[in-house]
Amino acid sequence: MADWYKCPVCRKLSLEHQDLARHYLGQTDKKHKDWLKSKNLSYSHLITMQVTEFGNKGYDALAKVLEKEAAVVQVDVK
Amino acid sequence: MKQELKFKVNGEERELWIDPKTLLVEVLREELGLTGTHWSCDTGACCCCTVNVDGMAVKSCSMLAMQAYGREVTTIEGLADGPTLHPLQQAFIDNWAFQCGFCTSGQIMAANALLNENPSPTREQIQLQLDGHICRCTGYNMIQEAIQDAAKRLQKSKV
Amino acid sequence: METKYSVIGKPTGNVDGMAKTTGEGKYTFDMYLPNMLYGKHVRSPYPHAKIISIDASEALKLPGVKAVITGKDVPGGKWGLWRRFRELCDQIALADDKVRFIGEPVAAVAATTKDIAAKAVELVKVEYEILPGVFDPLEAIKDDAPLIHEDFENNINATRHIEWGNVDEGFKQADYVREDKFTLFPQAVVSMEVHNSLASYDKGTGKLTIWSSTQSPYYLQLGLADALKMREGDIRVIKPHVGGGYGGKNSTMPDATTAALLSMKTGRPVKVVFNREEEFTTTEHRMGLHLAIKIGLKKDGTILARECKIITDGGAYTGLGATALYLAGIFQTFPYKIPNWRYDAFRTYTNKVWATSVRGFGAVPTVYAAEVQLDRAAKEMGIDPLAIRRKNLMEPGYEAPGQYKVESCGIVPCVDKMAERIKEKWPKLEKDEGIGYAGFAYMSGGIFNWIDTPYAYSGARVQVNIDGSVDLFTQAADIGQGHNTVAVMICAEELGIGIEDIRLHPGDTATAPVDLGAWGSRETLMNGNAIKMAAGQVKQKLVDLARAKLGENIAYDLVCREKRIYLELRPERGYSYYEMVEAAIKLNDGEPLIGTGHYTPHNKGMISPAYGMGIMAMKAKVDRETGLVEAKDVLIVHDCGQVINPLGARGQVEGSVHMGLGYALTEEMPNDNGLVLNPSINDYKIIRQRDMPQIELLDVPTYDPSGPFGAKEAAEATISPTAPALANAVFDACGAEFDSNCLKPERVLKAIREAEKNQKNKAKAKK
Repeated sequence: MADWYKCPVCRKLSLEHQDLARHYLGQTDKKHKDWLKSKNLSYSHLITMQVTEFGNKGYDALAKVLEKEAAVVQVDVK
Repeated sequence: MKQELKFKVNGEERELWIDPKTLLVEVLREELGLTGTHWSCDTGACCCCTVNVDGMAVKSCSMLAMQAYGREVTTIEGLADGPTLHPLQQAFIDNWAFQCGFCTSGQIMAANALLNENPSPTREQIQLQLDGHICRCTGYNMIQEAIQDAAKRLQKSKV
Repeated sequence: METKYSVIGKPTGNVDGMAKTTGEGKYTFDMYLPNMLYGKHVRSPYPHAKIISIDASEALKLPGVKAVITGKDVPGGKWGLWRRFRELCDQIALADDKVRFIGEPVAAVAATTKDIAAKAVELVKVEYEILPGVFDPLEAIKDDAPLIHEDFENNINATRHIEWGNVDEGFKQADYVREDKFTLFPQAVVSMEVHNSLASYDKGTGKLTIWSSTQSPYYLQLGLADALKMREGDIRVIKPHVGGGYGGKNSTMPDATTAALLSMKTGRPVKVVFNREEEFTTTEHRMGLHLAIKIGLKKDGTILARECKIITDGGAYTGLGATALYLAGIFQTFPYKIPNWRYDAFRTYTNKVWATSVRGFGAVPTVYAAEVQLDRAAKEMGIDPLAIRRKNLMEPGYEAPGQYKVESCGIVPCVDKMAERIKEKWPKLEKDEGIGYAGFAYMSGGIFNWIDTPYAYSGARVQVNIDGSVDLFTQAADIGQGHNTVAVMICAEELGIGIEDIRLHPGDTATAPVDLGAWGSRETLMNGNAIKMAAGQVKQKLVDLARAKLGENIAYDLVCREKRIYLELRPERGYSYYEMVEAAIKLNDGEPLIGTGHYTPHNKGMISPAYGMGIMAMKAKVDRETGLVEAKDVLIVHDCGQVINPLGARGQVEGSVHMGLGYALTEEMPNDNGLVLNPSINDYKIIRQRDMPQIELLDVPTYDPSGPFGAKEAAEATISPTAPALANAVFDACGAEFDSNCLKPERVLKAIREAEKNQKNKAKAKK
């Protein structure tokens, strides 16, 4: 059994918050965007950070929010 | 109003009635079925459509067919002697001087006009004569080598 | 190695030579059918606009006009090449609700002559409501930017993140770190044969035949099936000779869909031919992008970490752009060992014609940045540019975690050979001359299956007739690269016969097994393996029969060579090939000998089964007064495995360098709010005969276990290093640095002034 973090919008599960953030910024549908808006975050800002600055700044910023927001799911991985 | 065009194409007398604004390339390809002459840029900038008119290299997209009245046109189809390829054609094959082959007719016809005038051109003379011929595949070096190879073959056959 | 083979490895003239040098070979462009109509598109003058109404009544009144179609007449839906992700299948035959780039087709006419078709296009009235557009990727992702496709928020089309090792730790341990930013311009494809298709629909059977200038008959079949809502099997695609593709003829384009739709509507054959302006403004090109790159090295030049970020100007649709995004990252890492690597890539939709695969597929812009940055780092660290590359080279068996494994790998001997040769070749440089280096590698076909084909990636069928002649069937596409010659050579080698014994039937979906077509330098390895397998099956039958007739010890090996089948150690004991074929067919109840072959890579990582690689050196001269750069001379040391046809391999390298030099020096597509400003060969500058340098090509042969007879790719790898080698030569000559490709004189002059200023400032600082 392991702790997985669930995307607040879709079914995606990740073992790390940063990986979940990567998933999130790769999604381009309205539902994902609207949830970001509801958290006062901007897609544009996060992506610009990630792609024009070095390091994982965009992902890390979103990961911090997801640490609070993403539900923890226990999944048996065999 | 159609006008009568009489000219010689690849050694044969041809007579046909055409719209006087028709380009030579259109008559060759669409009226006479000589589709070996290609057409690529629409603006007279690529030399794909080069044929020989009275032995000179001419862009057939930049000449009205009526301007060929009474003259002798040679296209790529008229270069070989029956089943025997012209030395330029054979040299283009042996030197891998074409890839997609679309600009090749024009390159060969320009080279033919050059060799008629200058039987052993230098690399620089070839480049100058063929500078307008765009090729997206070969990078030109192998074309220039083929033309020099053909020049040698032609000279040998004349001795 | 050479002595083992009787066909492959020998310089062999093109098997299409007769067809292509006499004018007898037919391209789609040369085909006319009786009763044929000409189709032409009505195109949008706006980059982004709603279509309010289309009125074709005046056009239909024009004598000779047989049909006008709009988006409402399209029976099928969207299509694309990313079939695994249906949302990325975004192409449409004719814009229905809105247009997304200048030149997007909104309607099409069919008429009895080209002139009438052109007149009719002028008579179709389209009413638009203009929408705001976006033209730069960094603008496109803004939260308030207009959306080009619904459900693609912030105009993000595709993203990639790849990371291995511990990048942040790598940078921490580095003695030297530098960051650079680049903007790379798009490059047009400019095939000499424009996109064109001739469609003939049979109303009686409901089946369609289409001749088209395509790189992949199979992809075109798939695209048409989606666009026309037909079964793939009811569409027969025939690829005649193709006048160049270079990546720009992978997607199903409106020449094909419109020819088909108009033929279905009129019941007559219809031909659609793009003109050169349509070619520049409405067909695909190499992506432009913004790029940021960071490298960390040890004092001795060992690379510890690299990070690269790109955001690309994708244009209005996907094409193969999403794949380019992936390859742009992966091939930037070659041919070096980079223990810690991070790559972020975003592809945006913009209101321009879209970007796709183009020769060097993805790799060209990112390799440029990486190789240019490496030279800047080397100079500041006081390390020789060739030595810094030598320090970091891959070795056989090298693995990039979770991504790829390199089996055969001749890059170390390549660089050593280069170091030796360069001393003899260019012992002394003239004033204002410089030498630039760039390493390179490329795949021999892709493993990724975004097209989602259920078929093997390559297929071939061999039929041997009673007289020993061979019919070889495959959908593999020769678009000029010379694969027809390679295919026949591989078949002949395997059967031990001559190429004159073989008749090739390429590129017809109705007669040949599926092959994914000509992209990613895949045909030699993938189709070569399929052909070798098919020929091998027939060979086995002949060998078994000969063995039985000879009655020799089972341990003795038989070979097929020089049209004989004989004991390898006692060549006098054997039979003629023709004799065995005749006997085998008679034994087989009269059925010709058939062999079928297929190839799909397995257990070879994510990218490719094998990689061609090497190193390029370029000598260039800079005119400090005018800014004119002259590419003087090129030296390449190349490992492409066992070379099948040395003539063809050299041709591919020459052509790659030519297109790469265009990228380096002259080719760009300036764009003003969606309008391509130089849509003609007069204004779009392709390198001409006088500007092309000589190329010396040295081979380092290796044997790759994945390739047919050990062969790897040779078609694309050498385009990526050309532009950086040139930029590095200019940097070597005068210290000028560039943050883009296309080193036109004005850019060079500006960079020289900048470099002089920096040198003065440095000198001052020292004082």
